[in-house]
Amino acid sequence: MRCGRALLAIAAAAPLHAGAIPPAEAQFALQQLAPGVFVHLGQQLALDAPGHDDIANIGFIVGQRCVAVIDSGGSMRIGRALHAAIRRRTPVPICYVINTHVHVDHVLGNAAFLQPRPKFVGHAALPAALARSREFFLQHYADDLDQPPGAAQIIAPDITVGERLELDLGGRRLRLQAWPTAHTDCDLTVFDDRSGSLWTGDLLFRDRLPAVDGSVGGWLGVIDQLAGLHVARAIPGHGPVAADLAAALQPQRRYLRALLDGVRGELARGESMQHAIAHVAISEMPNWLLWDDTHARNVTRVYQQLEWE
Amino acid sequence: MHTRLLKRLCWSLLACCGPSFAVSDAQTPASGAWEYLQRQFYPDATLGLLDDNYMSLEAPANTPDPSATPLTLHFGAAALGHIRQIRVIIDNNPSPVAATFNVAAGARVAEIGLRVRIDRYTSVRAIAETGEGRFEMRSTWVNASGGCSAPPGPMTAGTLGEIRFRPSPDSHSMLISVRHPNNSGFQIDARSGEPIPAHYVSHIRFSVAGQTLLEADTGISLSENPTLRIASDRPLVAPITVDMVDSNDAHFNASWSGALAESAASGAAPGAGGTR
Repeated sequence: MRCGRALLAIAAAAPLHAGAIPPAEAQFALQQLAPGVFVHLGQQLALDAPGHDDIANIGFIVGQRCVAVIDSGGSMRIGRALHAAIRRRTPVPICYVINTHVHVDHVLGNAAFLQPRPKFVGHAALPAALARSREFFLQHYADDLDQPPGAAQIIAPDITVGERLELDLGGRRLRLQAWPTAHTDCDLTVFDDRSGSLWTGDLLFRDRLPAVDGSVGGWLGVIDQLAGLHVARAIPGHGPVAADLAAALQPQRRYLRALLDGVRGELARGESMQHAIAHVAISEMPNWLLWDDTHARNVTRVYQQLEWE
Repeated sequence: MHTRLLKRLCWSLLACCGPSFAVSDAQTPASGAWEYLQRQFYPDATLGLLDDNYMSLEAPANTPDPSATPLTLHFGAAALGHIRQIRVIIDNNPSPVAATFNVAAGARVAEIGLRVRIDRYTSVRAIAETGEGRFEMRSTWVNASGGCSAPPGPMTAGTLGEIRFRPSPDSHSMLISVRHPNNSGFQIDARSGEPIPAHYVSHIRFSVAGQTLLEADTGISLSENPTLRIASDRPLVAPITVDMVDSNDAHFNASWSGALAESAASGAAPGAGGTR
């Protein structure tokens, strides 16, 4: 405790000495979408650009007894900024930190929520996905963790969701649903029944080109199911909040369909991976941000998967 | 000195501003590995460097996937029927010689495509030797990291050693996909934390109409599920046969009879697979 106070004192004093490092909270914009539903919209930046730790939409939902955090951001810096933002809004304890999937921009802030430790919640496949990624995170995203970076900062779920799970926050229930392999193999959505808000995680990308780390065919199937849901609003993993979920899913469906059909055609004609990268779904380019960073990787991945379908 | 500086400048410009698929047009600087290999394999050879109409090497400047980076070698009309051997060298990989292709005399190979692991920022080079003793080298930079230690993908379909054939509609090219982990020896099993032993395709023979067109000695730099794409200026005549050996001395082979050409071209069936 004494130690904690000392750290707090240092943290409070730090900005006075280190003018080059602005306190993250000062720039940490938060929107209230409905009573008790708060989102911080990430920036549309590349994964290796400065500010890459702040690219995902993250936020929290406040009940009478509990706060649930939905994704913790791409660094301890962002996780702490989110934590501080919650503490400014409500004294209600943080009971749950839900991770919508394994990607860095959604999980690396987890360790900012350890005091006191909440229950971490994720898809049943998330622990294995984190185990596969841990080394990669430590090698490539060490600067986004506290120094020295260590595996203990990459936190796996205490509660896993095989199909569905309800969390009672007091006066509102969250319905969590685990999906078959789509964007990743561990995608989880969170629906707040009181406000009708659906947090899609990266099952929905808006404006930013979707990244395929799971199965493009599986994702198209999940999109069909999501499009049938009646929700008041959808909070995508990246991009602006959508009032009309079915309409918001359309551009992504069109791109993924072009990707799947295009790569299938390239393989049927025995074309090389390079040819596929240069030709598949190219007409989609003007519709998306960060095309160069992601499209070639998507084609590469889908090509390797379809080779053996 | 000025020339070298200029070349370096060209390359740094290409690396940041060039197209994502750079075609080689100058020599990348020598590395320790290349200097050693050059003394070993080409001690007295004069290496032609410039004529892209004769031969070119295509690779992504920034690879979308370090563990499966596509490389394509193109041979122009003047080279057809003359190339006898091609070495593909990835300077900064733990085992730099990725593949050595020995081409049958007179075989009109217009293109060879393969997928490789790239461990870190490196020159990738291809050195071709003609039957007349001419040597040509093309090289390019590839920016990547971690291709040799990338975790293995899930084996969700296919069996070890399964081979699929995908001809082009005009039969001038054949894409061969091999189901094989091609473990580099630098990968870790995420569950046990133990290193996965090297287990790789070591030899591939590609035959057309009963005649060997080319043979390749290969190693740990080939990607998981290796591929080989061969193109000619003439139709590749069935039967096309692939014979393969891996580092555990397992033998695999499969043939494409030509009968599947229509279905493969229309996408109805991916091709024939067979294992011993």
